[in-house]
Amino acid sequence: MGISSSLIEKQAITEIEKCNEFTAEFGLVLSRFEAAELVETRNIALRSNGRIEFGSGAIQKIIREFCDSPYISMHNYAETIHELTEMFYYYKNETLDLMSDDDLIKFMKNSFDGKCQGSLELLSGRELANMARNLRYGYPPDYSEDQMADEEDEDGEY
Amino acid sequence: MANIEKRRIIDSNKLSSEQYFTSILKEAYAKGLLCDTDMENIQMQCIQLLAYKCEIYNGGESSSIRVEEAESIMKSNLCTIGLYLKSLPDVNFAVSELKKASIFEIYQKGRKLINVRLHSAKHIFDLIRKNKLVTPNYSYNSTINEGIESFFKAYDPDYEAHETPASIDYQLCNPVTDLIGIEFIQKYLENLFLENEFCRHFAAEDIHYLLYGYDKEYKDLLISIFEQVLTAALGCSFANRSVVKLDITAEEIRHLHYELSGYNEHSLALKIREAAGKVLEELNIDSLPLRRYIEKSLPGIITNILHAVRMNTLDKTFISRVLPDLKPGIRFLSGAKMHDEDYRKLIDELLMCRHSSDKLALIKEKVKSFGDLEDLLFDAMLNEEEITSVFDILGDIEIAALIRRHPFKTDIQAVDLSEAEMALRLYLKNYIDRLPKVRQEEIFEKADSLIVE
Repeated sequence: MGISSSLIEKQAITEIEKCNEFTAEFGLVLSRFEAAELVETRNIALRSNGRIEFGSGAIQKIIREFCDSPYISMHNYAETIHELTEMFYYYKNETLDLMSDDDLIKFMKNSFDGKCQGSLELLSGRELANMARNLRYGYPPDYSEDQMADEEDEDGEY
Repeated sequence: MANIEKRRIIDSNKLSSEQYFTSILKEAYAKGLLCDTDMENIQMQCIQLLAYKCEIYNGGESSSIRVEEAESIMKSNLCTIGLYLKSLPDVNFAVSELKKASIFEIYQKGRKLINVRLHSAKHIFDLIRKNKLVTPNYSYNSTINEGIESFFKAYDPDYEAHETPASIDYQLCNPVTDLIGIEFIQKYLENLFLENEFCRHFAAEDIHYLLYGYDKEYKDLLISIFEQVLTAALGCSFANRSVVKLDITAEEIRHLHYELSGYNEHSLALKIREAAGKVLEELNIDSLPLRRYIEKSLPGIITNILHAVRMNTLDKTFISRVLPDLKPGIRFLSGAKMHDEDYRKLIDELLMCRHSSDKLALIKEKVKSFGDLEDLLFDAMLNEEEITSVFDILGDIEIAALIRRHPFKTDIQAVDLSEAEMALRLYLKNYIDRLPKVRQEEIFEKADSLIVE
């Protein structure tokens, strides 16, 4: 029996629409069409990364985490969520599933609001890439080479 | 009206044992027993079950999963559901269960059934370890000692119920082809148990002599011991010999061929079945499962015998036993090796010799045992020409002993050998190839009957 994608999609769109109840207080609302587009983006991201997901899954979590970001408003809301969704699945594979969904989304949110100051390019190309490399090499996610250099300098003083 | 009712019944022969659940769905849908809504409902429930299982698999930490992992979990779920549906009285009952009960409930029942089957398989495996045959056949021993054992350690009924993580090399007379997971292993063990039960009516050494007659290297072959034994027992029954000893002579096989050639296919098959009946009677086999298993094995054996009669190769199907211990052997003693210090001196001298003739003279004079000569061929850095000259001074028996201890292997077979060992084997082969045919045969004959100590 094949996994029927249309059935999964219907369920996912409905669940994304439900998020509007929560995000409306931040002035962020997605239409059914936009929700369907988001599901499509997710499907493409899942396919290209060789993954499968049930229900709205991570999109719902991304929306709930990012809706209070000062760098997101109604005019860039849908577009940002599209980009974040693509990034999320790409880095899910890049981190070898070593990080849970919640931790990855939290890391993305903290970096987006903090070091990246709302830049999706910096988030994807620098913060997430460094974090994924750290995890693959067995370092903590927020480990940086500057930190290592500082430690070496400190050692050198003694 | 009666006709319409008949057409609705699912033909159980059309169902796949391996993918029972999906084949029931297909058939039931085709026969109109399940409508579109039923199908959509079942599919939706399967996806929900998959989502639930994936969530547990991910420990609730990830909502997405790699496609290959999800597919494997889905196959496992379908296999578990199919296992329960198979346990129901008939296919129509299974279809009504699919309509009435939720997929999750059916899965849970299937999962419990797997536990029961696992327990049963372990029990049969314990019985097999008790009725295991004493045989040097490697595939038989490794399958029972290690291959099946690994299944019980590695089998994961929650996420990989459809997999059979066992290393099973031993060939059954009736191979299990249409089952997966625990069903496969259970059926395999049941069949193996019955094959052992039958073979235990014969002495281990009689089976050994029979299989040795089949091929003296049978310990390395992937053969069904049961099939050979049953065929031999049938042969003995035909020849009116005692079945228990599995002893049929080449002369009797020739006579049998002459006799069986006169039968047509049908009457020969009947005669073989008759002989099978006699075998069962002589061995006092009352066990119904074993009788059924033998009955099930007969078509394959009948085909083999028919083919052999037609091709005039009955001596390859009915085997005359060979008693390996009675074969004349030549006991070869290598002789005492020289003292280590003397050996080192000899090697130093050989390495210093400039001319091959000097080296050869030195070897002739100093080396008195086969063991030293063998070591020297590796240590004295001799080239092919020099080694060939050494071979020339050896007798047939020494050459035969060298062949036994250093048989030639192709590059692929010889991957584990050292360079020096490979070179020696190649030089030896080249030397033998250059000898006259008659002498080659004599040497190989001697090598064959040599008992090297």
